[in-house]
Amino acid sequence: MRIATIVLATLLAACGAPEPPLVVSELEVTKPMPGRHMSAGFFVVRNNTPEDIRITAVDSPQFASVEIHETTVTEGISRMREIGAIEIPANGSTVLERGGKHLMLMRPKALGDSVTLQFYSGDTPVLSVDYTFPKDD
Amino acid sequence: MSPKQIVFALALGIALAAGTFVAIRSQAPVAPVSALVLPAPNPVPEFSLLDQQGEMVDQSVFEGQWDLVFFGFTHCPDICPTTLQVLATAKSALVEDGRESLPRIVLVSVDPERDTPEILGQYIDYFGVGNLGLTGTLEEIRKLTDGLGIFFEKQDGDGENYVVDHSAAVLVIDPDGGFHSLFSGPHIVDNYVHDLPILMGGR
Repeated sequence: MRIATIVLATLLAACGAPEPPLVVSELEVTKPMPGRHMSAGFFVVRNNTPEDIRITAVDSPQFASVEIHETTVTEGISRMREIGAIEIPANGSTVLERGGKHLMLMRPKALGDSVTLQFYSGDTPVLSVDYTFPKDD
Repeated sequence: MSPKQIVFALALGIALAAGTFVAIRSQAPVAPVSALVLPAPNPVPEFSLLDQQGEMVDQSVFEGQWDLVFFGFTHCPDICPTTLQVLATAKSALVEDGRESLPRIVLVSVDPERDTPEILGQYIDYFGVGNLGLTGTLEEIRKLTDGLGIFFEKQDGDGENYVVDHSAAVLVIDPDGGFHSLFSGPHIVDNYVHDLPILMGGR
């Protein structure tokens, strides 16, 4: 199966199948804590283009507001700040993780089993991803 | 068995026993890998705060059990739940290891404007049973944090949309209500599972 996948990938590459410019992996959206109105989003975003990409905004139909935040711990003090963008270097990746850069998703609206995240670079939509909460969550 | 054989058997027995003893000693945990132990426990300063049931409690609430105390706020979506989950997971691992004496998890709010006892209770219950939440007036919270060397500072924000900078450490309070040791972070489950039995058994 693995060999078949590699062969298929090689054939597609040979045929010049275009790679998507942005790929999100390891996506996780936390459910709001009891009594709370916010969640966090963590993922790795890969830029397959030769140009740097800036994701400047994210929105979601399931949340009233989504902000890009970064937590830093310096000299034992935890600080969380809104940052203007997620910078993804050309042919590189950026990690959003616990204790680092993350999405802050606020005020859920009729939250069901899944969340859709729409990424923008300026006014241009550049990627949409879906996350389904684990069944045992 | 000849006298020589008896001496040999005795020597072999002693050597085996000594070897086993050394092996057990070398496997025994001897020092914490993450926690910093204070030279002597410092008594928790006097304060008067509300627990998650809205009951007034003072410093004596820290007496009678080991406590893992974190300072944070319930509107914090990232480092606070992550740290509390590390503590809860470490406790579960200690249960699986067969340990009966477990520390209590305590969250002291550094955001009393938004963290009512009820909200704090809903939040800490998510991380297991028997946890303690403390909130109250800013002045009383400051008595506790200042006495323990904990920093926090509310940042400017839009109405209710603000954050609070705060120390990331987890403090260990001993059953006499003394500030015994601390984990300064990053908080890693394995470090707690390794260190807590040493800290709690070392007195």
